[in-house]
Amino acid sequence: MKNSNVLRVESLCKYFGGVRALDGLDLHVSHGEVLGVVGPNGAGKTALINTVTGFYRATSGHIALNGEEITSFPMHRIGRLGVGRTFQNIRLFKRMSVLENVLVAQKGNATHLLRSLFRSGSNKAEQQDAMNLLELLQLSGKANNLASSLSYGDARRLEIARALAGRPRLLLLDEPAAGMNESETEQLITDIQQIRQQVDAILLVEHDMNLIRKLSDRLVAMDYGKKIAEGTPGEVLSHPEVLKAYLGSDE
Amino acid sequence: MLVGQLLNGIVTGAMYALVAIGFSLVIGTLDKLNFAHSEVFMVGGFVAVLTANYMPWHLALLVIFLVGGLLGLATEFIAFRRFQTNEGKITAALASMALGLIITDLVHKGWGAEPVRLTTQSQWLQTGHSIFGATVLNLQIVILAVAFLLMAMLHLLLQKSRMGRQIRALAESSVSASLLGINVRRVTQTVFFVSSALAAVGGLLVALRGGAASSDIGLTFGLKSLAIMAIGGMGDLRGALVGGLLIGVLEALMFQLGLGRLVEMTAWVALIAVLIFRPHGLFGGGIHAQEQRA
Amino acid sequence: MIADHLFFAGINVLLAWSVYVVLMTGSLSFAQGMFMAVGCYTAGVLTVNFGWSLVPATLMASAFASVVAAVVGWPALRLRGVYLILVTIGITFCGRVLLENFKYVGGVAGFGGMQGATHVTVLVAVALVGAALLLLSRSPLQRTFDAVREDDRVAASLGINVPVVRMIGFASGAFIAATAGSLFGHYMSFVRPESFDILLSVYVVLYVVLGGVNNMWGALIGATVMTLLPEYFRVLAEWRPTVFGLAILLMLLFRPQGLLSFRTLSSRWKVDQRLANLADKP
Repeated sequence: MKNSNVLRVESLCKYFGGVRALDGLDLHVSHGEVLGVVGPNGAGKTALINTVTGFYRATSGHIALNGEEITSFPMHRIGRLGVGRTFQNIRLFKRMSVLENVLVAQKGNATHLLRSLFRSGSNKAEQQDAMNLLELLQLSGKANNLASSLSYGDARRLEIARALAGRPRLLLLDEPAAGMNESETEQLITDIQQIRQQVDAILLVEHDMNLIRKLSDRLVAMDYGKKIAEGTPGEVLSHPEVLKAYLGSDE
Repeated sequence: MLVGQLLNGIVTGAMYALVAIGFSLVIGTLDKLNFAHSEVFMVGGFVAVLTANYMPWHLALLVIFLVGGLLGLATEFIAFRRFQTNEGKITAALASMALGLIITDLVHKGWGAEPVRLTTQSQWLQTGHSIFGATVLNLQIVILAVAFLLMAMLHLLLQKSRMGRQIRALAESSVSASLLGINVRRVTQTVFFVSSALAAVGGLLVALRGGAASSDIGLTFGLKSLAIMAIGGMGDLRGALVGGLLIGVLEALMFQLGLGRLVEMTAWVALIAVLIFRPHGLFGGGIHAQEQRA
Repeated sequence: MIADHLFFAGINVLLAWSVYVVLMTGSLSFAQGMFMAVGCYTAGVLTVNFGWSLVPATLMASAFASVVAAVVGWPALRLRGVYLILVTIGITFCGRVLLENFKYVGGVAGFGGMQGATHVTVLVAVALVGAALLLLSRSPLQRTFDAVREDDRVAASLGINVPVVRMIGFASGAFIAATAGSLFGHYMSFVRPESFDILLSVYVVLYVVLGGVNNMWGALIGATVMTLLPEYFRVLAEWRPTVFGLAILLMLLFRPQGLLSFRTLSSRWKVDQRLANLADKP
């Protein structure tokens, strides 16, 4: 049972002084599935991603990746074990080109630093891999452009491409559709459905209900750092607790 | 002999604390590293040379306080006003370093590179009393009194006054502070004024004790206070005080143990030791501790 | 004498590059004075007391300096950049005090008898280090450095071991500074600990700030200009700190990236390659 879960989170707590960003959260993501995570602002969704990736050190609880306990591992170790993520407020490497942003995330160069000194910048296979990823996200035409020059939608897609460049097993997407218009969101749904084959599992945090419904196999709703509902998108989005949590938000 | 050395150490420590508190105040409330601070400290000694021959030292103290404060305002305007962003922080620190270079050079052009004698009018400062078998000079008492008085006044300012509340609010969060209607520029200027005034007075005290104003103490004494600030915990004023006294006493002990030639290393070795075992300093609180290290 | 000018310019270029290498990983180091001293004294002892020749002595001294850098920098490299700045300042102070008390190398009185470096030696060193930096700028490692510099938390999430990257930068910087130190000593023939003080470190950092922090040429320009100009304009030499300080202030206010602010891309996708690949796709 445990090993079919790409990610398992148990009683996870993250406290900042008096603020309980995560307060005893349990969830799991099975192999091959897309788990959607919804909740009002401040529910702890980004805190969840930050804690799983090691950005925050958990106050208590357990995080396991493919059965292996990663709770207090440093960020780069978790990254190398196969976790990729995007950021809610876009954090691209602005001074590098689109292509370079993807290249830098490739595992070989991150892990074998001194060897990477002696490779010429145009290693064919690596470039090809990177370009394939960029094609997947409709960015191949902009490969040599500076990341800072990208439009909002393109920048969000580059974040995803970069997260995939390390060939992660688990992909954590933090509001990838934020700020996108309808057609961009539709394209994103198609893109993510394609990306599914590249990774073992996806955890998708989103506010856009359309996207969540179409992509998620299962849904978890959070509020105040805890899980308040779990099930199919239909079940969760009509659950009374969830509706109560969202009352007052403008969804 | 030991008591005398310890007293010396405390006196030095009080002066270190005065300068370190200034550094700490700026970094604690504004998250900025002001490298011109140690040069303002140095200038304090030279202003003392200018004034102490013409007025009693307690008036000179006031003048130096004001001059220091004004230099602080100038520093804020020249090196920090334009660089308010996050990336700007390093730029501002470098700009303050450049300003420090200019100040030192101007002092060299005005007085030369050798130390300048400070002749105080009163013999009173040099008279001593015998306490616990050691000789305690009035000078030392004055230094301690001035230093602690200023620190107490700072404490009152921060805890009891309206401006103090605003400063503390700014230290918590610059965004919330401006949302609360606090005039961030006015508070920033006040912080720079106060911290630089303290530094300048520190310079006066050092010059008084040594009998001369010297242009290279900015780089030795002054930078050491930077280390002390980090030892105490960046942004923590208690830490700066405790750190200063601690280092002052440690240095005195070094002399006592015959390790006087290595004394300049004390603060820096202590800094490295603290960074290994307690990275946020002795009183590691404040805004710098809030960023969780993963 | 022009040979002298070239020599000092070369030394300053090497020192500026040593700062640049550390800067590439997002850290600022003021320890050049100390590592230069380590290089100078270690190589000096090897040549004067043990009869080594200049090149092996320099290499050994530089390697030793990198090891010292790795050991001493390790506590601070894990923390925020400000702490590294403080530790590097501290390193320089401690280094000077230790040298002043180290009788074997002359203490305060200094160490002498070194010889063998000429302006040609320095220019060769500059060429070699420059070539290495050029190689670096075209390699994937440069991208890794840039990632760490631009956003170290994101870089870590990509699997990059940020403290190790910083260590590589710091140790390499120490290596280059030590080389400069060794050549300096073997040209001047006699050195004192006070030649390697904190002010030197500050100046070297400011050369890089002036010339440009984003690429190796900026450091080269900054160091060369600030070394050679005062030789030819007396006024600049007399008021060097003020002029320099003003230049830095103006630069930071109007062009904070320095004179040469471009960053070269380490990798460019070639269009014809792509077209060829597209042709293969179904």
